[in-house]
Amino acid sequence: MGKFLRLLRKDLEASKWPVTMLSGVSLIWYLFLRLKLESTWSLSQVMFLLWFPLMFLPFWLIWESFQTLRTEWREDTAYTLIVLPVPGWYITLSKLLAMFVEYSLLLAVNIGGILVIFRTQLPEMFGSLLQELPVSWLIRSMFILYLASLGIFTYAIVFIQLAFVVSKMVGRLQGLVALWVLALASWFVNRMGILLEPLFRWVPPVSLDRLFHMERVGVTYDSFLWNLSPQIGIWLAVLALFILTAWLLEEYVEINE
Amino acid sequence: MIDSERVVVIEGLRKRYPGVNALAGIDLTLSRGEIWGLLGPNGSGKSTLLKCLVGLVRPDAGRIEICQEPFSRRAKANIAFVPEVDNLYRWMTVQETMDFIAAFYDDWQPQRAKELLDFMRLDPKSKVSTLSKGMKARLKLTLALARKAPLVLLDEPLSGIDPSSRDRIVEGIVRQFKSEEQTMVLSTHAVGETERLFDSVIFLEEGRVRLVGSAEDLRMEYGKSINDLFKEVYA
Repeated sequence: MGKFLRLLRKDLEASKWPVTMLSGVSLIWYLFLRLKLESTWSLSQVMFLLWFPLMFLPFWLIWESFQTLRTEWREDTAYTLIVLPVPGWYITLSKLLAMFVEYSLLLAVNIGGILVIFRTQLPEMFGSLLQELPVSWLIRSMFILYLASLGIFTYAIVFIQLAFVVSKMVGRLQGLVALWVLALASWFVNRMGILLEPLFRWVPPVSLDRLFHMERVGVTYDSFLWNLSPQIGIWLAVLALFILTAWLLEEYVEINE
Repeated sequence: MIDSERVVVIEGLRKRYPGVNALAGIDLTLSRGEIWGLLGPNGSGKSTLLKCLVGLVRPDAGRIEICQEPFSRRAKANIAFVPEVDNLYRWMTVQETMDFIAAFYDDWQPQRAKELLDFMRLDPKSKVSTLSKGMKARLKLTLALARKAPLVLLDEPLSGIDPSSRDRIVEGIVRQFKSEEQTMVLSTHAVGETERLFDSVIFLEEGRVRLVGSAEDLRMEYGKSINDLFKEVYA
C-alpha cells in the first residue's frame, strides 16, 4: 500500500504545475468577465462565456490522461517506472486516481471561483433558478452528476491507457495502432454490454426521479428509468481492459528507444 | 560453484530487432562477489543484455535467473539498475528522488545514502533539472549504490561524463561495492578508466560472447592489459 501511495503522490506532484496553471487561467477568465460585466457586456453575454473553462475540462482530462503516460516515455523516466518491483496496476491506477484528484480540484476551483468572483451578481444571475430549486437539492444533484462524470472519465482513461500501452509494444506506426486500439476497445465494451445484458436482467432499474428527488422540485411522475443491466456488462468489460492494460505494461512493454 | 553463489544465470538468450540480431544466444553464469566488465563496441548487445536482465526488454528466447529465481516482479527487487539515459524526474529535488526510490526497495540503506551523497558532493536541495550531466550520473550511481541489492547493473556509467565526475564515479564504486553480498555488471567501452575495477570480463560482439573469464587470467594468458586486449579483439 505504501508503494502505491508513493506512486500516487509522485503523479500528483507531477501535475502540480498544469493544475496551478489551469486554475490561474480560469480565475483570470472569471475576473475578466466580472470586469466586463461591470463595464460593457450584458449579463446574458457573460453567462454564456462563464462556462467555457468548465466545458474545456473534460477535453483537458482526456489529453492529460494520455500525456501523463507519454511524458514518462518522452523524458525516459519510464526506465525508472518499469523497473520498480510493483504490479502494473499500481502504475495505471495511481495515474487514474491522480487524474480524478486533478479533475476534482479544478472543478472545485472553477465553481468556487464563480461563486466568489460573482458573489454580488449571483442573485441576478441565478435568482430565478434558486427561487424554483432548493439549494440542498441543487448540491445533491450536482454531486450525483460529479460521480457520474468520474465514471465516464474512468471509461475514457482506461481506453487511453490501453491504447498507449499497446502502441508501445510495436516498433512502428504507434499512433495508428493507438487509434485502432481505441476503436477496438469501444467496440469490445459495447459488444460486451449487449452480450452480458441478459445475465443482469434481474438487476432492478434505477428510477432517476427518485435518485434526483424530483418530487422536491415538483416533478412527481415516474418515467425516467435507468436500465442497469447493459451498464454492468460494460463496466465488467472496462474492468477487464484495465486488468489487461496493467498486465501488458508489466509483462510485455519494452523500453528500447 | 555452489548454487547460492550464482547471482545471474543466462541460458540461450536471444533478441532480434528488425534487421538486427541484438542477442544471438548468450549463455552466462555470474557469481556473487565480483565486478564484471561487460565490454564491446557500440551495437554489440551490451545494453540489450542489461535491459533483458532488468525487464525493460523481453527476450525472444532463452532463460534468465536472478538469485536462483526465474525473472519476475520479485526478482526486480534484487536489482539496482543505472541506465545510460537520464531516467530521473526533473521536477524532483535530489532528496525527493532519493526518498522516492527508497520507498520501493527494502534494501535501501539510509546511512549509506547519506555518505554517498556527501562523497558525490550532491546538494539534497538541488533540483534534478539544474544538475549537470556529470552530477546526474553521480546521483544515478548514488541511487544504485545506496541499496544492498545483490545485483547492480551499470549501463555505460561514464558515457559523456566530465573527467572529475568520472573519477568520483569510479571511486564511489570502489568504496561502496560490497564484495561479500553483491555482484556488479558494468557495461562500457571506456575500458582504460574502469579496467582496475574488473574481477572478470565479458567481451560481446554482434550479440555473442566472444571471450569471457577472470581479468587476471586473461591478462596472464594474453600477456597484455584488458584495455589492450579490448583494442585487439575489436580492431
